[in-house]
Amino acid sequence: MQLVSAAVDFKSEVRPIFEEHCYRCHGAKKQKSSLRLDVREAALEGGEYYKPNIAPGKAGESNLIEFVTGKHEEGRMPPKGEGLSSEEIATLTAWINEGAVWPEGIDEVQLEDRTDHWSFKPLKVFKTGRSLDSFIIAELREHGLTMSDEAGRVTWLRRVYFDLIGLPPAPETVDAFLSDTRDDAHARVVDDLLDSHRYGERWAQHWLDVVRYADTHGFEVNTPRPNAWPYRDYVIEAFNHDIPFDQFIREQLAGDRMGKDAATGFLVTAARLLPGQIGQDDASKRLARQDELGEIVINTSEAFLGLSVGCARCHNHKFDAITAKDYYSLQAFFSGVSYGDRPMRTTEGEENRQEVEKLAESIRGIDQSLAGLVPLARSGTMRPAVSAKLNVERFPPVTTRKVRFTIRKANQYEPCIDELEVFDTGGKNVALSTSGAVATASGSNVAVNRHELHFVNDGKFGNERSWMCSAGEGWVMIEFPHEQTIERIVWGRDRQGKYADRLALDYLIEVADEAGKWHLVADSSDRYKQEEGGPSALNGFSPEQADKAKVLLNKKTSSEARIRELEAKRLVFGGAFGKPEAVHLLNRGDAEQPLEEVAPAVLSAFGDISLAKDAPESERRAVLADWIASPDHPLTARVAINRIWQGHFGIGFVETSNDFGRAGAKPTHPELLDWLATEFIRSGWSIKEMHRLITLSETYRQSGLINADAQGKDADVRLLWRFPSRRLEAEALRDSILAVAGQLNLKTGGPGFDLFKSRGGLSGFPPVESFAGEGLRRMIYAHKIRMEPDSIFGAFDCPDAGQSVSRRRQSTTPIQALNLFNSQFVIDCAENLAKRVKFEAGEDLNACLRRAYKLSLAREPSDDEIADALPVVREHGLAALCRALMNSNEFLFIP
Amino acid sequence: MNYLSEHLSPGGRHLLDRRNFLSNSATALSSIALTSLLSRENLLGVQHPIIDPTRPYAPRPPHFAPKAKNVVVIFCAGAVSQLETWDYKPELIKQDGKPLKGGPAVTFQGPAGNLARPQYEFLPRGETGKMVSEMIPHLAKQTDDFAFIHSLTSKTNTHGPAENFLSTGFVQDGFPSMGGWVSYALGTENQNLPAFVSIPDPRGVPQASVNNWGPGFLPAEFQGTTFSASKPVRHLSPPAGITPGKDHATRSLLQRMNARHLEQNPGDGKLAARIASYELAARMQLSVPEIGDLSSEPAHILKSYGADDPSNPTKAGFAKNCILARRLIERGVRFVQLFNGAYASGGKLNWDGHSKLKEQYDVHAEILDQPAAAMIEDMRQRGLLEDTLVVWCTEFGRMPMFQKGARGRDHNPDGFTCWMTGAGVKPGVSHGVTDELGRKAIQDIHPLYDFNATILHLLGLDHENLTYYHNGINRRLTNVEGHLIREVLA
Repeated sequence: MQLVSAAVDFKSEVRPIFEEHCYRCHGAKKQKSSLRLDVREAALEGGEYYKPNIAPGKAGESNLIEFVTGKHEEGRMPPKGEGLSSEEIATLTAWINEGAVWPEGIDEVQLEDRTDHWSFKPLKVFKTGRSLDSFIIAELREHGLTMSDEAGRVTWLRRVYFDLIGLPPAPETVDAFLSDTRDDAHARVVDDLLDSHRYGERWAQHWLDVVRYADTHGFEVNTPRPNAWPYRDYVIEAFNHDIPFDQFIREQLAGDRMGKDAATGFLVTAARLLPGQIGQDDASKRLARQDELGEIVINTSEAFLGLSVGCARCHNHKFDAITAKDYYSLQAFFSGVSYGDRPMRTTEGEENRQEVEKLAESIRGIDQSLAGLVPLARSGTMRPAVSAKLNVERFPPVTTRKVRFTIRKANQYEPCIDELEVFDTGGKNVALSTSGAVATASGSNVAVNRHELHFVNDGKFGNERSWMCSAGEGWVMIEFPHEQTIERIVWGRDRQGKYADRLALDYLIEVADEAGKWHLVADSSDRYKQEEGGPSALNGFSPEQADKAKVLLNKKTSSEARIRELEAKRLVFGGAFGKPEAVHLLNRGDAEQPLEEVAPAVLSAFGDISLAKDAPESERRAVLADWIASPDHPLTARVAINRIWQGHFGIGFVETSNDFGRAGAKPTHPELLDWLATEFIRSGWSIKEMHRLITLSETYRQSGLINADAQGKDADVRLLWRFPSRRLEAEALRDSILAVAGQLNLKTGGPGFDLFKSRGGLSGFPPVESFAGEGLRRMIYAHKIRMEPDSIFGAFDCPDAGQSVSRRRQSTTPIQALNLFNSQFVIDCAENLAKRVKFEAGEDLNACLRRAYKLSLAREPSDDEIADALPVVREHGLAALCRALMNSNEFLFIP
Repeated sequence: MNYLSEHLSPGGRHLLDRRNFLSNSATALSSIALTSLLSRENLLGVQHPIIDPTRPYAPRPPHFAPKAKNVVVIFCAGAVSQLETWDYKPELIKQDGKPLKGGPAVTFQGPAGNLARPQYEFLPRGETGKMVSEMIPHLAKQTDDFAFIHSLTSKTNTHGPAENFLSTGFVQDGFPSMGGWVSYALGTENQNLPAFVSIPDPRGVPQASVNNWGPGFLPAEFQGTTFSASKPVRHLSPPAGITPGKDHATRSLLQRMNARHLEQNPGDGKLAARIASYELAARMQLSVPEIGDLSSEPAHILKSYGADDPSNPTKAGFAKNCILARRLIERGVRFVQLFNGAYASGGKLNWDGHSKLKEQYDVHAEILDQPAAAMIEDMRQRGLLEDTLVVWCTEFGRMPMFQKGARGRDHNPDGFTCWMTGAGVKPGVSHGVTDELGRKAIQDIHPLYDFNATILHLLGLDHENLTYYHNGINRRLTNVEGHLIREVLA
């Protein structure tokens, strides 16, 4: 007979240990590091990083034992308190070595299958013959509700105008519609609106909210992103041309393969740190790169799939079937994308590029001719005094590898040079760092993004890109990669002409010979002193040469302006595409803790499409786009149609339109959502077809009036027993005020207009108070400053382009009231409306009142309203009435 | 049974537009539905403030009995050096001029130079004998009342993201600010003033600008209102040319228009809320200029703050902002953010002392010290500190080395000091330790999440329970982190 100790019993001996020490963090409520110890399968497998947790029969290979004994590299578990007693550890060890017997059916909960979720399943198939309204009516009936009566014709007209184009109907349009007795009068209105360019300007904004479009880079410096707008225009045009939505997806992810370069602006809409704002240490650089890539993953997954994949950057998703590995596999599709401008390869772009080259060539010629007019240095002729803006030093050609500029005295403080250009005999600037020249200096005062040594030869002018010496005297030197024959040096303190301090007055320019000996080529000794006056210096010319020079300079200035204009049309901030970086799974999302390398692969819950780790860059994005844009993808069409529905009704079937995961809201009408998604795909992914279907439906044509009974059953109108009225969004409100005032400028496309007098820095963003010209364009064409709200309409829940806005809130604040009632903008618009009314209605006050109501509210005022307003108008003028109308609830609400 | 209460999803909870829900409920919603909804939320362990759309700033109950009802946050932009102020490092004096062994060769701006001693002398202060530098003599006198946390860390070494992190708990742009969270949770006592006021420095806006007081994805009601003693609330009054009579007549006409419209659209809470917002705006038009008018402040008060100092207009400007902050707290404003220091400027206009730290800090300290100290003392004498928490903070600290070729310190997010005083704070505490040179926190390390969690706790708010659903997750001020720093609690 053999003596054996009784086997360790899980229920009476092991589980109590887990309960006491572990379940607080690794049980039903919380699963830190995705580890749970209350379900057999999960407890054995382990958490996100360390597997297996329990290896039956092998306590030595079980992470659990390493953790409880404190031998694990991550430290002891539990992290606080005394920890497990040695008896408890012995019990666990013995239990594992005996085979970790964990009886079936003993667990109080079961692991849920996270892929078992409504939106992950295929679209439901329907019999033919269903209509949109039939779904709504059925659901209402279920809750003892019915649809409201049809809204009045004018109400529907105003509704569909605000909805589709974001502007009110003109009085003539209202009258024409009221007298149109044809059966398809409504359909004709919808068609007209969808054909209008105004439509894209309205609906593009919904998409730009989601992708957080802005014209600045964000963060502390928030500098302009001057070539972002082609993407904004692309989106407007895509809506106007009813680009099939699946193609819209493909173009935004891989438009560079489809001749749609501007579309890939989608990839890089997020805020980013510019290189100067990122720490010079490597860890900071790696973190910044991870942040950039993270934003692309967030944009793609939220906008197209309605999934918050970004949540899985540090840990497996808390709610959804998305692992950290999924996150990095998705990131790998984008690992060759960096934030930057890219030339647009359109026919027009190519023509522009050629013209730019020609102009640049002619500017080089002009510079050569101009140089010939400048007196030679050290020739005996006195030269003009040093200018803060620009100085030319001409000397006989000399061959060298090094040029040194030594400053012996400045007018004030430490001297500063914004750019040092060295021209060869062919007129080419050979000092540029892009041609391999390197700058060194005796010492430099550094102010990041303003004064840095490498700014002295970066080809950019102005104080913001300049070198500052570390002392009152010193030198800066340019070394070329190989010998150059040079004949001219051009330098300045600030070519933008804002600064004249820190100007070198006493200086030497020398070149080194092969032996390293320095030879003087120019200095300040033959220049007039500033206080002596001397000949006026037009950019360094003697007065007799200045006239000739003026002609050349004018030509140069106009060529440069044309280049800027062409360049602006040529580039889009659409991401630069390079060789993909290796992507690693990162422990807890920490760029300093890379784990295994991962290949591009789609979310594992949806299939196994993947690419090799060395797959070419653009193929990656194309493969991802094909996967997302497939009619078989359960999420894509659902997420899209939900956004369209939300655009019409203010809220989608799924309220959380960026989140179709398990933490998101459930759909109010799952069947209608699927039916519409199917119709959407069947229509060739035509958004305009969906607009027609929806705006002509009975559901949409209902009255918005509240009835108390239905209100009691469904206060939030989620079942659509009436049309849910809502406040106009910020842009539609500003546009409508301008339209009514007769001031709206309908210029389309191109760089944005300014809402602010200056852009950033110490003074922040002081707002423009009174607008004219470009400032009266539709608000979607404003130069959108990230995080900085427009001083009037920003308060109306206008997105800040920080995080994605999936649905606009409808806040009501006293600041909104102050802005709308007291801003110069609204006062100006009220004055303009008053003028317009007088012009159109004449001097009769009653007629004026009626016209003001008709223009702003599309209806005649009642007798009561006239009686109420007349005394105010008599005493204070029509503008007072107009100001009140523009502030009224009736004006602000989509009826 | 209300339709809504059946359709609560695990994460959806208060997504149902609560404001609509409750306002419309006035007409007919059954209390059973409401009870069901609320109990469901409690099961999920989440408590959401219930916001009346016509009174978005109405006071709301905290999660538990608070120690403090209001907060003043003195926000020193640009990263104040812990080594020149509150974190005394005698070893750094000894090692002055030597290289830091094992230290980083490259820091934020570039190559690191040698260790540099604190640029100010340190003296023992008060009964605790806490060593504090001579840079801030007025604040130093009060150190017996402060609770210091010397071991804070940030997630980034760039100013903008770091200010975001301090104010919002995230380095990215676009998350709700602490003041936004607090006014969302608690509303405010005074219905004629905003719940959250952000007072900019006289020298300009801070690096992360509006991120520091923005609502992020919270409703726009909870954005900070910015004004200072010299800069009024924008659009508070109509432009010149609109006479008071005309203004009044227009306002009443608008009121009648809206009333008529509401009659024709009965039961619509959104319309009623807009009408109410014009009424609150009108009250603000009266109360805001009154509170910003410091002419009623006696001469000795102006003098004690340094607000009467004609030789230093920036200091006088900041001092007036300090008086304004006290007046706002006196009138029950929930959250006041008081900026000291502006935008990146090579350290000229804020605490970013990269190149000439000593001469720049001489200037900045003069502006900060007397006014801030006088404000705290004034509030103490008036008994305001019984209910008010005062927080002093900065986005990160600075390196013990000078930068190569410069006489200033680079960014250091690995160990820096902030402090708090007033309601609920244990006086005279110094918690957490950095290494002997002040390079990194080594004991009781607290990411800023912990600091923010502690501030919320003092206001009676559980940082894990103050949430708002956004794009897939219930967001918090503390992300998924945060532990109370109990050692600083009274």
